[in-house]
Amino acid sequence: MKTRLISLAASLLFGIAGCGGGSGGSSQPPPPPVPITKAEAYQFLNQSTFGATEAEAQRVINMRYEAWIDDQLQQAASLQLPHVQSVPPPQFMFQLQPDRVDIWFRNVLHSDDQLRQRVAFALSEIMVVSQLGVLGDQPYALASYYDVLARNAFGNYRELIEEVTLHPAMGVYLSMLGNEKPDPVRNIRPDENYARELMQLFSIGLVELNQDGSVRLDAQEQPIPTYDQAIIEGFAHVYTGWTYAGAPVFQGAFPTPTRQVIPMQLWPQFHDTGEKTLLNGVTLPAGQTGDQDLADALDNIFNHPNVGPFIAIRLIQRLVTSNPSPDYVSRVAGVFNDNGAGVRGDLGAVVKAILLDAEAQPALRMELDGKVKEPLLRLTQLWRNYDAQSVSGRYPYDFAYIIFGQGPLQSPSVFNFFSPFYAPPGEIRDSGLVAPELEIATEFLNTYITNYMFCQTFFWNQESSPDCGPITDDTVLIDTTEEIAVAGDADALIDMVAGKLVAGQISTTLRTEISGMLALIPAEQANLRAAEAIYLLVTSPEYAYQQ
Amino acid sequence: MTGASAAAATMAATPGLTYAQMIGGGAPFDDYRALVCVFLFGGNDSYNMLVPNTIAEYNAYAASRQNLAIAQTDLLPINPVSFAPGSEPFGLHPAMTSLQQLFESGSASFVANAGPLIEPTTKDQFFSQSVALPPQLFSHNDQQDQWLSLRGTNQSKTGWAGRMADLIRNNVAGQQMATNASLFGTNTFQSADETVAYVMGATGPLQFGFMSSDPGAGLLYTQGQAFGRIIDAQYASIYERGFAAVQRRAIDSAETVIAAIQAAENSGAITTVFPAGQLGTQLETVAKLIASRDQLQMQRQIFFVATGGFDSHDDQNQNQPGLLANISESIAAFHAATVELDVEDAVTTFTQSDFGRTLTSNGDGTDHAWGGNQIVVGGSVVGQDIYGTFPVLEIGGDDDVGGGRMIPTTSADQFAGTLAKWFGIPDVDLDIVAPHIDNFAQRDLGFMV
Repeated sequence: MKTRLISLAASLLFGIAGCGGGSGGSSQPPPPPVPITKAEAYQFLNQSTFGATEAEAQRVINMRYEAWIDDQLQQAASLQLPHVQSVPPPQFMFQLQPDRVDIWFRNVLHSDDQLRQRVAFALSEIMVVSQLGVLGDQPYALASYYDVLARNAFGNYRELIEEVTLHPAMGVYLSMLGNEKPDPVRNIRPDENYARELMQLFSIGLVELNQDGSVRLDAQEQPIPTYDQAIIEGFAHVYTGWTYAGAPVFQGAFPTPTRQVIPMQLWPQFHDTGEKTLLNGVTLPAGQTGDQDLADALDNIFNHPNVGPFIAIRLIQRLVTSNPSPDYVSRVAGVFNDNGAGVRGDLGAVVKAILLDAEAQPALRMELDGKVKEPLLRLTQLWRNYDAQSVSGRYPYDFAYIIFGQGPLQSPSVFNFFSPFYAPPGEIRDSGLVAPELEIATEFLNTYITNYMFCQTFFWNQESSPDCGPITDDTVLIDTTEEIAVAGDADALIDMVAGKLVAGQISTTLRTEISGMLALIPAEQANLRAAEAIYLLVTSPEYAYQQ
Repeated sequence: MTGASAAAATMAATPGLTYAQMIGGGAPFDDYRALVCVFLFGGNDSYNMLVPNTIAEYNAYAASRQNLAIAQTDLLPINPVSFAPGSEPFGLHPAMTSLQQLFESGSASFVANAGPLIEPTTKDQFFSQSVALPPQLFSHNDQQDQWLSLRGTNQSKTGWAGRMADLIRNNVAGQQMATNASLFGTNTFQSADETVAYVMGATGPLQFGFMSSDPGAGLLYTQGQAFGRIIDAQYASIYERGFAAVQRRAIDSAETVIAAIQAAENSGAITTVFPAGQLGTQLETVAKLIASRDQLQMQRQIFFVATGGFDSHDDQNQNQPGLLANISESIAAFHAATVELDVEDAVTTFTQSDFGRTLTSNGDGTDHAWGGNQIVVGGSVVGQDIYGTFPVLEIGGDDDVGGGRMIPTTSADQFAGTLAKWFGIPDVDLDIVAPHIDNFAQRDLGFMV
């Protein structure tokens, strides 16, 4: 595989060299573009969807990248809240979480707005709220919050952070909801939780950055903090006075289904009207309304020069590669700063810039390109390729975070499933690189996923068997009918499986090992042979790698 | 208020071999010791865990904490040996009856107002920025990182348990498990340059369910062999190699460690009932692994267990009793199990947490602060005492940098160094474990025998 790509790159280089010296003036039409290969389409789709499939790869090959992205940018958001609201209310609200997770899977597996869903998922790992904790019994709030991310995935970042800030899910999760102005008599001062995390995790980070994402240093070669405690307190005072819309009391109102999904409402008597110190030397004057304070504060954050590189790095890491070059970050941050039409914060333009960048599609692969696939994406890619369904039609995998170490809005804390800075010991850390997803690739979770994949491939298929526990109407089964039809021919079987899952880019070692196992399984055990081939592929290091 | 400082001074004066010297010989230890870190994620509000009980100090506390204060009549009084007998100068949160018993029986102590520092820091120095400070004070992940790594302003990504494991790696060559084991996922504490921590679940590792290392197991054996060869293949990408390395460690350790846990269960050596829940379950598994230490040929072990929910910005009065009761009951059960196993002198349990919390309230909760109180438990702990300096809990007082954020009066480096020395790290190598320890007069806080 490596050799093939290198020789391809070499021929491209030769081609370019042969054209050198031309200085325009030619009236000849431009040559037709080099056709996109299936492997290239897979690489692109694993960056932009919940798993490349042969059908979607063909669309990319036909449409080419930019037209495919432009089409995706126009796709309306597949939402979660209408589905969750359509389910008859159970006795306890937490019992709706499986339905919330169900509609997440339905959307990411089957919806046409694949790119939007992928970006929404990335945003859900940046602007984190979670089912685990205080929102466990607020499934409507979580579904509605995810819809905010999906609807704004290609919108403007300024609007996104406003909707995030005022969403009751975030209000509850980071305790802005019910945050009151100071009361010196009771030694009460505003809650600093949201003030801190909006800046640290959702927008600018802790230290000043250059446009290329590198850390700015002061005269003493030290990083420059973006804010101090006085600024935290300034923003904490901004975020006072907000609670559930239509609540009868400022604090302690019950989160009814309606209150969970409507933006928070200002109670002026609980809003602090004093002066407030913000970023970059800005001070809000005393006497402003809560709405004015909030608008000014979000503008203040939005216009901080860190936002471009900060969001660029995080989205690139979620979609394309763990270790983008400074130039790549700078190009994407530049688009954040100005989409070409003078607009700052255009996320659709940012996503397009990330995916169309030469570094997202390098001709000559480097060993640090790409990333470890998120565990949930390993599952969804398998499911998308093998038409995974349950008898009930549901995917109630609310236990996803237990097996896979992650699930939709199931982070253990606001710090996401893994840190963008995580560097495992060994060559990755020694090289000064990061591999965020490896933080949850523990011995324990890797084993859990390996075991899950065994059950999924050998027993949870169209010939379902209870060997991995009882089969219910909710058990998600993959369909390996096509594999079974060719299973007697080991090479044909491997070609089919590898063709679907990795565009045929299977290593010699893996092919040899699968062949060796198939040689031990009689031809009439077609189901077993199909399962074996898929199992060894989806548990392999090469499948866990997103090029 | 410092206990056993004379003993500490004597120990500090004892010359020790450096590990550079010891690694040459690779001499095995002649005993077994284990450290158990209980990390309380979110920032434990430990000034409601250990509360002043004398009139003036309690009144200062109550004035600062207002609606979050524990009523003085509800406190569980304790009698540290460094104080006048019967004076009951401190009390514990009413949910911590088991910890009170551990303390009063001499098996537990507290280290007061500890936190990350680079050098001793006064309020004036803090505001004039005339001393070096740990970066990003009051931020969760940064202050967790400081407690776990002690890196200060260095760029190091190793933790202090990781560095200890690296230092002793040639002395524990026969161990069947890594020195560092986590029951709560990947963590900075155990991250190292030379050794790798082993991560298991709360009840231990999972077995690869459909592979066997038994040559008689037919297809499952063959499959295991094929799986192993796939893991061990040469890969072009650092990400593939990183992923494969985890799989290799998982395969190598699962059967051994699961067998050890099963042996402990079969022996019936542990009858202590652990509290239900994450922390109790993890500590029960640790107890089983300690019970099987000989089978695993372990000489030194460092366990990382943890529980969350301590970030009490909201509803603190509702949630704190359950959180603190869980710590108290889980640690007490674990200590009881070590007594059953007759290893209580060889096992030391201690807490760490992101930070203490503001003494002031945000209405119904507290925010991120700095210094806090930590628990140390075990037969080798010089128990029933409070080490370090307990601050006056006064808003605007000498230790408050605003809103009731206490400047630590004992550094996390001193805390770690004291534990590291007991673990067997020679005094001359303590600065590898605790890089800033030389900045503090007292290298050994004296809470370990």
